[in-house]
Amino acid sequence: MSTYEVKSDVTGSVWKILTRIGQRIDAGEPLMIIESMKMEIPVVIEDAGTLVELRVAEGQSVSEGQIVALVDI
Amino acid sequence: MNQVAKEASPLDEVMREYEDRLQKALAMGGPQKMAKRKGRGMLNARERIGMLCDPDTFIESGLFGTSSSNRDDAEKTPADGKIAGFGKINGRETAVSANDFTVMGASSSSTNGRKIAHLKQVACQRGLPLVFLGESSGARMPDHMGARGMGTLLGNDAAQYQRLRETPWVSATLGHSYGSSSWYAVLSDFNVMRKGAILAVSSPLLASLATKEAVEPEDLGGWRMHAEVTGFADMVVDTDEEAIAAVKTFLSYLPSHNNIAPPEVPVPPGSGAEMSHILSLLPASRTQVYDMRRIVRTIVDKDSFFEIKARFGKVVTTGLARLGGRSVGIVANNPLVKGGALDTDACEKITSFLVLCDSFNIPVVMFVDTPGFLIGKDAERRRAPGKIMNFMNALALTTVPKLSVILRKSYGQAYLNMGGGRNSNEVAAWPTAEISFMDPQFGVRIVHGLEPGQPGFDEAFANMNRDSQVWDMAAIYAAQSVIRPEETRSYLIRMLEVYRMRPTNEAGAHLMHAWPTSF
Repeated sequence: MSTYEVKSDVTGSVWKILTRIGQRIDAGEPLMIIESMKMEIPVVIEDAGTLVELRVAEGQSVSEGQIVALVDI
Repeated sequence: MNQVAKEASPLDEVMREYEDRLQKALAMGGPQKMAKRKGRGMLNARERIGMLCDPDTFIESGLFGTSSSNRDDAEKTPADGKIAGFGKINGRETAVSANDFTVMGASSSSTNGRKIAHLKQVACQRGLPLVFLGESSGARMPDHMGARGMGTLLGNDAAQYQRLRETPWVSATLGHSYGSSSWYAVLSDFNVMRKGAILAVSSPLLASLATKEAVEPEDLGGWRMHAEVTGFADMVVDTDEEAIAAVKTFLSYLPSHNNIAPPEVPVPPGSGAEMSHILSLLPASRTQVYDMRRIVRTIVDKDSFFEIKARFGKVVTTGLARLGGRSVGIVANNPLVKGGALDTDACEKITSFLVLCDSFNIPVVMFVDTPGFLIGKDAERRRAPGKIMNFMNALALTTVPKLSVILRKSYGQAYLNMGGGRNSNEVAAWPTAEISFMDPQFGVRIVHGLEPGQPGFDEAFANMNRDSQVWDMAAIYAAQSVIRPEETRSYLIRMLEVYRMRPTNEAGAHLMHAWPTSF
């Protein structure tokens, strides 16, 4: 098992967090929604895993490439 | 009954020697190395060829080749570490090279260099796809050291790394791959990488010596880096078996050479069965995103979408598929990632995919939903104008049929890059399409100087939205068709029939046959 850093693809603000610590997440499932460019952009993971850490909160600004969560895969 | 005893012939000894030499040549690196590989779940080079080629079709070229620079190495270099020959893949003749890592790390030498050069020459001249099963330590150092070594071995084949795309080249990176294995991987039209394999210029040891810091193989050239950062891994798999299956599947979409059409196959039952529900895959709100790949899979022949570079430049999805049994190349914006805004990685991904399709007579179908190119300081530093124009130029040089379907957004320069403005042969739009110079949300601010909430914003926004609808575009014949979403599959199959390249017997002009293989 290795820990994977989940990064935001876009600069924007965290609109909704959809997962909680310890939750199992399927590949392609959204962890959270970032509002950017007037659109709702989900943060998804490529490989299934377990959410171990959230590094942002709802309403917080994020920049492209910022680590928003850690997932054990 | 009397039997006549066969008399011993002087030729018996010759044939015994033949059999003895044959066994040695086939032995690869010996039983211990074979067992070690097996324990790690890796096939050996001959097993890989056996899995790739149809049974009993592989005919070897250079089986008795050995090290020639150093005669002392002859005994320990069966087939000189690179197995070469010709085999049939799903009935089609193919040139195949497999590196045997158990023989001096499959390092490149004088003899095996000749074998590979011969294989490439035959493949390109006789119209055969070429497959590299790569795993190599790089150059055979003792042979290459010194001025005499370099003068003898390297630089004697000006076409060694020349790529003119006469036939498809496919690579599987199946282990540590340095030097020539890496070169052929990036020269290929498709490179599948097995997790655990490394693709780099030189080994971690050499890199550590050069940079004076410890270098981890995965950091140097692991699958994640090549799938997500460089794009050199077109596909990533877990096992040798999956990699070889991917090579075969990729080739099934391509012709054997660039002067014929790709093979046609029967249309699988159930193809298009979900078309009546396709509009439900598009969110009702224009601020919501969706996975374009679901729409692509619904439209193309059942289970035929073979995605390429899935983890690289993800704002766009590219892949081979079939429509009505014929190969097509799909270029589709994916709003799921960054709203589908095109970045520089996406430009490179699309450009290389257009080159692939055009080189091998595969029509291109574009599905459009993009708010435009991603702009900003970072994009400019990544040379966005150059990448956007490379993409545009590649599209202009594409001579195979090009069809675009606008599903939702098509804004700004990206409208042209995705086939608008006569850059596709035909543009069809769904009634949900919206086309303008920029998204009305931003257009109102810039054109009218109004912010959301200010008096007049809502009216100006409504006017711009209305003007962005597809109908004005259809009225001036800038969109050739407006179609019901559920008709998209039948429209494309019919239009691909119209645009068959009849005068040239299905071959395009291949204006990009010498385009760089990565950039």
